[in-house]
Amino acid sequence: MNMYLYELRMNRKSAFIWMAALAGIAGLFMSMYPTFAEGAEQFKEVLRTMPEEVLQALGLQIDSMATLLGFYSYLFLYVLLCGAIQAIHLGASIVSKETREKTADFLLAKPVTRSKIIGMKALAALTILLITNVVYFGAAALIAETVQRESFSYSAFVLINLSLLFTQLIFLAVGFAAAMLLPRLRTVLPMSLGVVFAFFMLSAVGATTGDSKLRYLTPFQYFDRAYIVQHKEYELEFVVTGVIVIAVCALITVIRYLKRDVHVS
Amino acid sequence: MPVIELNGLTKTYGGARGITDLSFTVEEGEIFGFIGPNGAGKSTTIRTMLGLIYPTGGSAKIFGKDCLQHGTEIKKEIGYLPSEVFYYDNMKVKDLLQYSASFYKKDSRKRMRELAERMELDLNKRIDDLSLGNKKKVGIVQGLLHEPRLIILDEPTSGLDPLMQQRFFELLEEENRKGATILFSSHILSEVQRLCSRVAIIKEGRLIALEKMSELKGSTYKKFKLAAKSDVDASAFGIPGVMEWKSEGGEVSFLFKGDINEILRRIAGLELENLWVEEPDLEEIFMHYYESREGAGA
Repeated sequence: MNMYLYELRMNRKSAFIWMAALAGIAGLFMSMYPTFAEGAEQFKEVLRTMPEEVLQALGLQIDSMATLLGFYSYLFLYVLLCGAIQAIHLGASIVSKETREKTADFLLAKPVTRSKIIGMKALAALTILLITNVVYFGAAALIAETVQRESFSYSAFVLINLSLLFTQLIFLAVGFAAAMLLPRLRTVLPMSLGVVFAFFMLSAVGATTGDSKLRYLTPFQYFDRAYIVQHKEYELEFVVTGVIVIAVCALITVIRYLKRDVHVS
Repeated sequence: MPVIELNGLTKTYGGARGITDLSFTVEEGEIFGFIGPNGAGKSTTIRTMLGLIYPTGGSAKIFGKDCLQHGTEIKKEIGYLPSEVFYYDNMKVKDLLQYSASFYKKDSRKRMRELAERMELDLNKRIDDLSLGNKKKVGIVQGLLHEPRLIILDEPTSGLDPLMQQRFFELLEEENRKGATILFSSHILSEVQRLCSRVAIIKEGRLIALEKMSELKGSTYKKFKLAAKSDVDASAFGIPGVMEWKSEGGEVSFLFKGDINEILRRIAGLELENLWVEEPDLEEIFMHYYESREGAGA
């Protein structure tokens, strides 16, 4: 319990900043929604002059853009991007903290098993992401209520927002595994940004070419918001893919964390 | 009962540094010196005992229990001071010590204040504002806080000024009187000389000697230094037992182990200005150990 509380305390400041950033993005975009919806027809005309590929890469769907959920789906891509960076950064830094700051000799000489250490770290990271999502959802719901012009499907809204949590869980696990596979990792941020933007670009490319196989390769495409709005559910095969990714990464992390030699260098 | 038992402990890192077939035991209540130059494998041995790295061969037991299987249980009774002290920077000394104490089921607040006072450590400072010596003090308090039965110190004195070193040694002697066993790793032999009852000497990952301090220092070796009026003929002293022959600016020094009369008869043949006969310090014996083993090994 002491380790769990310690990790929470150490990470709380950055968690608050991320919560504010995520809510800020939603607030900023959604504040434009009323204006956008009023002049929707003109906007659509402008958008129709743009090449189809560009629209797809940006995740724009002209027909649904004017609805609240359509507009929200579009901005949500950037919320996901930020959320992914938060999650992978949190994951990689929380498990590599002792080797980066050379405090392994402190923690691992204490009467705790390594499995308890990694367990508590994972639990702390999960708690932080959960709180982030609760706060974000509260903020997003409030904003949506404020700017709505006609009623929207609340269950689709919830499902879209829940996909932030699931995407973050995937990136958290990727962050854990990355830190374990790169034992000499000194600074976490470049790695985090690199991985996230690689997946993000892949996602944009996948959307443009419409290659359905590519969708499996990037977590940004696991929860298609157009599909969610239409069917009020997730696509099972991608949920399963996400769970597999998490399981594999978690397995790598646990095995490496328990078995590795911890060096001071 | 042996507190530490190493049995053929081996750790290889694909060829380079490591330890090879290390075996020795440390008895309860001992202050045991563990000496060797930097990179000899002292930290590797200690960190293997603590489960930070896994051995590739052999085993280590502490309190009669295997270090790998019963690590958590064993570590409840161990206080460890790492050679390089690094602590979570963005914490106050007090918070770090409390965090450390929270791993042991003991109330250590009173003892924390006492130890900090004796080591003149300011509990309200932030760790990243501390000098190396003060960080070392944090490490010392952290290691002794929960009154461990086994204290493992890896190069504990670097960065401490002589006064603090003195206090630290007194503290260790007190803990030892209360029953704690101490493993003291160092490359500075004079430290070990003062505190330890037995020493293990390690070089390039191998144990090269395991001796009682009294025997190592002991009566068998004498250090001779003479200032002669004329040049000293080295060949006249070419008898077994003479080592470390050094001739410098009319002064000759050497170590001798053997019949003292034999060597005195030879010295009597010289016209002397001055003569010193001393107990050699550990440093010299140590160097001699190294050199002679190297010679024998080649």
